[in-house]
Amino acid sequence: MTTRAPRNDLDPITFQVVWARLISIADEIAATLVKTSFSLVVRDNHDYACGIYDVSGRMLAQSLQCTPGQAGATPRVVAAMLAQYPAASLSPGDVIIANDPWLCAGHAPDIFIAAPVFRRDRIIGIVCNSAHHIDMGGRLGATDAREVYEEGLIIPISKLMIAGQPNDDLFRLLRRNVRASDKVIGDLRAQIAANHVGARGLVQMMDEVGLESLDALADRIIPRTEAAMRAAIAEIPDGVYSHSVDHDELDPDGKPIRLTVRMEIAGDSVSLDYTGTSAQVPKPINAVFNITRAYSVFPFVAALCPRLPMNDGIFNTVRLVVPEGTVLNPTFPAPGMYRSLLSYYVVELIYGALAKVIPHKVMAPSGTYPLWIQKFAGQYDDGRPFVSHFNAQGGQGARQDRDGNSAVVFPGNIASTSVELFEVDAPMLCERKAFIPDSAGPGRFRGGLGQEMVISSLAKHRVSGASSGGRFHAGAQGLDGGKAGGRGSIQFKDGEPFSRSSQVFYDHGDFVRLRQPGGGGFGDPLSRDPEHVLRDVRQGMVSVAGAAADYGVAIDPDTLQLNISETARLRAQNAAAAE
Amino acid sequence: MSRSPAYRLGCDIGGTFTDFILLDRASGRYEIEKVLTTTDDPSRAVDEGIAGLANRRPDFPAVCENIIHGTTLVINAVIERKGAATAIVATEGFADLLEMRKEIRYDIYDIAAVYPAPLVSREHRFELAERVTADGAVLRPIADGSIETVLGQLRDAGIESVAVALLHAYANPVHERAFAAAAAVAAPQLLVTLSSDVLPEIKEFERTSTTAINAYVRPLVDRYLARLENRLRDRGFDCGLYLMLSGGGIIGTGAARRVPVRLIESGPVGGAIAAGHIGDIAGVKDVISFDMGGTTAKGCLIHGGDLPITTNLEVDRVHRFKRGSGTPVAVPTVDLVEIGAGGGSIASIDELGLIQVGPQSAGADPGPICYGLGGTLPTVTDANLVLGYLDADYFLGGAMTLDADGARRGVEQVIGKPLQLSAEEAAWGIREVVNENMTSAFRMYVAERGGDVPAATLVAFGGAGPLHADGVGRKLGVKKIIVPRAAGVFSALGFLVSPVSYEVSRTAVTRLGTADGRELEVLYGELEAAAGEVIAEATAGLQITFERIAEMSYVGQGHQIRVAVPAPEPQARGPQANGAAAVDIAALDRAFAADYSRQYGYAYDDLETQIVTLRVVASAHGSVPEVLVPFPTMARESSLKAVRAAYDPMGRRFVDHEVHAMDRLQADQSIAGPAIIEEREATLVVAAGAVARAQPRGWVEVTLGGETS
Repeated sequence: MTTRAPRNDLDPITFQVVWARLISIADEIAATLVKTSFSLVVRDNHDYACGIYDVSGRMLAQSLQCTPGQAGATPRVVAAMLAQYPAASLSPGDVIIANDPWLCAGHAPDIFIAAPVFRRDRIIGIVCNSAHHIDMGGRLGATDAREVYEEGLIIPISKLMIAGQPNDDLFRLLRRNVRASDKVIGDLRAQIAANHVGARGLVQMMDEVGLESLDALADRIIPRTEAAMRAAIAEIPDGVYSHSVDHDELDPDGKPIRLTVRMEIAGDSVSLDYTGTSAQVPKPINAVFNITRAYSVFPFVAALCPRLPMNDGIFNTVRLVVPEGTVLNPTFPAPGMYRSLLSYYVVELIYGALAKVIPHKVMAPSGTYPLWIQKFAGQYDDGRPFVSHFNAQGGQGARQDRDGNSAVVFPGNIASTSVELFEVDAPMLCERKAFIPDSAGPGRFRGGLGQEMVISSLAKHRVSGASSGGRFHAGAQGLDGGKAGGRGSIQFKDGEPFSRSSQVFYDHGDFVRLRQPGGGGFGDPLSRDPEHVLRDVRQGMVSVAGAAADYGVAIDPDTLQLNISETARLRAQNAAAAE
Repeated sequence: MSRSPAYRLGCDIGGTFTDFILLDRASGRYEIEKVLTTTDDPSRAVDEGIAGLANRRPDFPAVCENIIHGTTLVINAVIERKGAATAIVATEGFADLLEMRKEIRYDIYDIAAVYPAPLVSREHRFELAERVTADGAVLRPIADGSIETVLGQLRDAGIESVAVALLHAYANPVHERAFAAAAAVAAPQLLVTLSSDVLPEIKEFERTSTTAINAYVRPLVDRYLARLENRLRDRGFDCGLYLMLSGGGIIGTGAARRVPVRLIESGPVGGAIAAGHIGDIAGVKDVISFDMGGTTAKGCLIHGGDLPITTNLEVDRVHRFKRGSGTPVAVPTVDLVEIGAGGGSIASIDELGLIQVGPQSAGADPGPICYGLGGTLPTVTDANLVLGYLDADYFLGGAMTLDADGARRGVEQVIGKPLQLSAEEAAWGIREVVNENMTSAFRMYVAERGGDVPAATLVAFGGAGPLHADGVGRKLGVKKIIVPRAAGVFSALGFLVSPVSYEVSRTAVTRLGTADGRELEVLYGELEAAAGEVIAEATAGLQITFERIAEMSYVGQGHQIRVAVPAPEPQARGPQANGAAAVDIAALDRAFAADYSRQYGYAYDDLETQIVTLRVVASAHGSVPEVLVPFPTMARESSLKAVRAAYDPMGRRFVDHEVHAMDRLQADQSIAGPAIIEEREATLVVAAGAVARAQPRGWVEVTLGGETS
C-alpha cells in the first residue's frame, strides 16, 4: 500500500470518511475486547468504553456500544493520564493503567488502559479502553463499606508496560490482591491487545489518507458535534426547571438521601446545579464527579440527539455545578462500589426537570434503577472457589406514546444472566424468574412490568451473598397523571423484607426472593384504551381487580370479556372521585 | 440409477420473485426463469416456473437429477406472524423467558426502543412442574398430573403446535421426552417440538426462542412441502427434492419437516457458497464474498474453502441492521454481514452536515431518480450514473433508459448545494460514503471473528457488486478481485453446487484438564449417528463424511471458537474390540491454541481450556457440476464497445474509459484501467492502475495497483 503525500487539510468528503473510520476503529477495539475478555460483564453486558484521542487528550471518537458511565468518564481519564505522563514523555510500547475511582469511573473494577499511538516514531494519538473487571480485591460484596479502602485495590495512574516490557512489580501486586487473578490478568491482556488493534487501524488510516496529525481533525469534529448538540438544546424553551428525588437509602441522620437539580436552559446552553443534594454518606453508593457528569449528559443525548457520535463536543455542552462533599461529588475516601444505586437516579432527576417543559421527549421513572445485582461467592462441593453474579432488572418507565419495556435495563446496559450459565458457573439454583402482575405503573401508557426471582443455594458449604436493589419504599413514579409502579423487595428465606441492600449467608437450601419494581406510567390510566387493558388482563399482566381499580375497566373474571357499560360507569365514578 | 441425469434445478422463493436456474450438466449452459411469488400458496409459483422451463426444455422433468429449493416461507411466517397456533411449555416459574429476552438495550441512546412482539404470547405459555439441574440430575421429577394439566390447557387454547423448552434439557432431555410421550398418546394430533431435539445447547433464551420458531412454522412447512411434492409428481419428476439450509448445506424433506427452523435464512447463503466455489476453482485460500444488490450488501469471509458458520443468527429485527433488535435463532447459519447499502440506498445530509447513505432504500419503486418512476431522492445508482460508470442507454442491457439529467439535478440539489460541491464531487461523495460504510462493516465483521483481510481475494457479484468492487477492495487493502460472468445471477449458482450436509450439536461443558477422550468419542459417535441418519435419508449410495467440531474457550470465557477436532490416529479410531477409541485431548488442546492464536494474535499457555458444545457436520458430496461459463479462446469480434468519460478517483476528474462487453471478452484478454466492462445485469469498473484479465474458466480477475484512495 502506497502512502499519500502529507496533508492536514481534508476535503469535505475525505474528512467525513476519515471521521467514520475513526468511529469504526473505536468499534474494532471494542469488538476485540469483547471477543477476548473473560469478564461476563464485558462480553455480555458491554460494560466497557473504547475511545480515540489526540495527543492533547481530546476524545475524537468512541465505540457505539459502551456503558454510559464509562463512556462519560473516559474523556477525563485520558486527560488525567496525560497530565501525569505528558505525551512527549511516552514511548512506543508504553501502556498506562488506572482505576482510581476519583480519576476514573467511580469504582475499582472499572480499569482504564491507554496506549500512545506512534507513527514514524512520533506520537500521534492515544487509544484507551475501559472494562469492568470481575474482581479487584477488597471485601466481597461490601454493601456496608464505609470507606473506599474496603472496596478493592486502587491503582493510581501507572505504567503497566514500559516500552513494551511488562511492569512486573505491578503485575505481581495485582495478582496477589485480586480473586480469580488469571482471569483478571487475562482481561488486562485483552485490553492491551484491543488497543493494539486500534493503534494499527489508526496508523493505517493516516497512511492511506496522508494525514500527519489528528489535531486538525479534532478541531473540526469536536466543534461540529458540539454545534449539533447545541442546536438540539436550543429547541428546549428557556427557563429554570428544578426537581428533587428522594432515594431509598438514608443519610446518617435517618433522612432519605435527596438529589436536587436546578436546570437552567438559556438559548443553546444547559447548566445543571446540584446544590441542595445530600452530603456524602459512609455507604458504598456515592457517585464521583465523573459519573455524575456522565449521567448528567446521557439523558440529554438520549432525549434530544441520540444519533450524534460521541466525542468531546457532546460533553462540552453541559455546564455542571456539583458541590464537593455531596453524594454526587464525594471526597476521598468515600466508598462508591455500588454507585449505580444512586447515579442512575440522576437520569430520573433530569427527566423530572425536563418533563416540566418537554414531557413528550422523556421517559417516566423506571423500576430498573437502582441497578439490581446479586452476588454470590463460596466454594463448590469439591472446594474450588466461585464468584458469580446474577443480573436482572425491573420495568422501564412509559413514554407519552408507548408502554414501558418490561424487564429491560436502563440507563446502564447490562444483560440479564442466563439462568443455565449461572447454574453451571455456581452451585446455585434459580427457582423462579417471572413477571409480577400489577407491577407496572398504570397510565394511558403503562410502565414495564417488574419481575420476581427466587434464588437458592445447592452448595454444601456456606455461600455469602450480597443483594442490592431498591425502590423498597416507593415505586417508580408516573408522569403526566401516570401512576407509580410496584415497589421492590428483597426477602431472605421467610424473614422480613430488607429495607435496603444487604449481605447475607446461605446454607444449603436457603433462598432469597427478589421482587423487582415496575416502571412508572405516563398519562391518566382512566384514558387507557380498554382493549389494551383487556389484553394485559388476558395475558395475566394486570389482574381483573387491578383493571377495575387502576384503570376503571370492568372485565368478567370468568369469561375475560370486557364489560363496556360497567367500564363507562367505573371510569365516570373514578374520574369524579379524582376531582 | 439407470441413466445419467442431465439437469439440476435451483429454485429460490423470494419475497417478490421466485427465481429458477436450470443447469444442463451436459453442456454447462443454464436457463433462467423468474415468476412472481404466489404468497397464498408458494408452490404454485414453483409450478408455474417449472412449466415455463419445461416449455423450453421439455425433457427436463423426467431426467432431472435433483431440485434444490430455497424458500422464505419460514422467515416470512415469523416476520408476518402467520404461523400456527403455538404454545410454549416451560419449567415452572419460567414461562416468561421468551418475553424477557436478554433484558439489554440494543441502542443505549434510544429511549423509545421497542422489541419484537414475542412469537408466543403470555396466555399461551404454560408451565410444567419439574426441575433438572445443570449437571443433568433430576432435582424434581415431573409432578403428578402436571403433564395432564398442561395438555388440558393446550387443548382448551386450541393449540396446534407446541414448543417444549425446559431448563437444562440439553443436559438431560428426560422430562421433555416424557411430555412428548404422554402427548403422543393423549393428543396425537398435537405437533410437539422438543428443545433437546432442535437445539440441545445451553442458554435458555436462545434455545426457547429457536424451539418456539420451529414449532410455529412446522404445520405450515409440512403442508407446503406436501403440496409441492404433489405438484412435482404431477409434472413427472422422479428425483430428489432438497431444501437449502441456513448453514449452506441441502437436506431432504423429512428433516425439513421436523426441523424447519433450519431453513430460516437460506436466501443469502447461495452467494457465499458460489463465491467459495469460485475461490476453490481459482485456487484462492481466503475469499471475501461481496454481494451488493439494490437494497443491501452482504459480505462473508471464507477461509480455506470453509463457509464460516455461526449460531448467533437473529431474525425479525425491529431495526433491520441493529443487532439485538430481533429474535435469536441459534441454528447453524452461514456467518454473513449484511448492511443497508445497495444501488437504491438513499443519500441525504444529516444534522452534522455529513453525507448519509442508506439504510433507507428507494427500492425498485419509485427507485432511483434516474429510473424516472417518480423517485426524487438521490441514490447510489444516481451517483454512479453521474460519474459515468453506468450507461444511461445500456441499463439492464438497454431494457430501461436512465434519466441522467434528473440524476445529476437530484445529486446536485440534495447533496451538492448544501456542501458547496459540484454534482460530480457530490456523486463521488455518495460513492465514497457507501463504500466506506460497507468497508467498515466488513472490517468490524472480521474484527469480531478474526481473519486476514488484505490476504483475501474479493469475489464481487450482485447487481452492484462489480460496480463498487474497486472502491471497496482498495479500502479493504486486498490485492485481487474476482468478478464472475453473469454476476447478476451468480448467487443462484450456489444452490447447484451445495452438498447434502447437516450439522448436529450438543452442549457438554467439559474442562480439558479432566476430560476423558473415550467419553467424548462416545458423544461424538452418537452425534455422528444422528447426523448420518439425516443424510442417509436424503441420499442413497453416497459416501458420508463427518467433520467433528468442538466449540471451545478458556475456562470462564463466554465466547467459544469452533475448532476442528483432530482426527485420531487411524488405528485408534472406530469401534474396536477393546473400545479404546478416544478423542486425542492433547491434540485438541493444541488445535484450539493454534486457532485462537490465528484469530486473536496470541494464545495463553497458563489457562485451562474447556469444551462447551460438541458439533458434527455430516456431508455427502456428489459430483459437483461445472457452473461457470468459460470465455472463448477466440473471440468473434472485438470486445471494445465505446469510449466514454467517467470519473477517475485518483485525479478527481473525468477521463476516457474504454467500455468493453463482458460476453465478447476472449480467454486471457487483458484490459488496463481506466475501463468499464459491461454485461446485462452488472457493470465492472476497472480504475486507473488496475488490470483486468479474463480467466478462461469464466471470471474476470482484477489486479489492483497504484495509489490507494
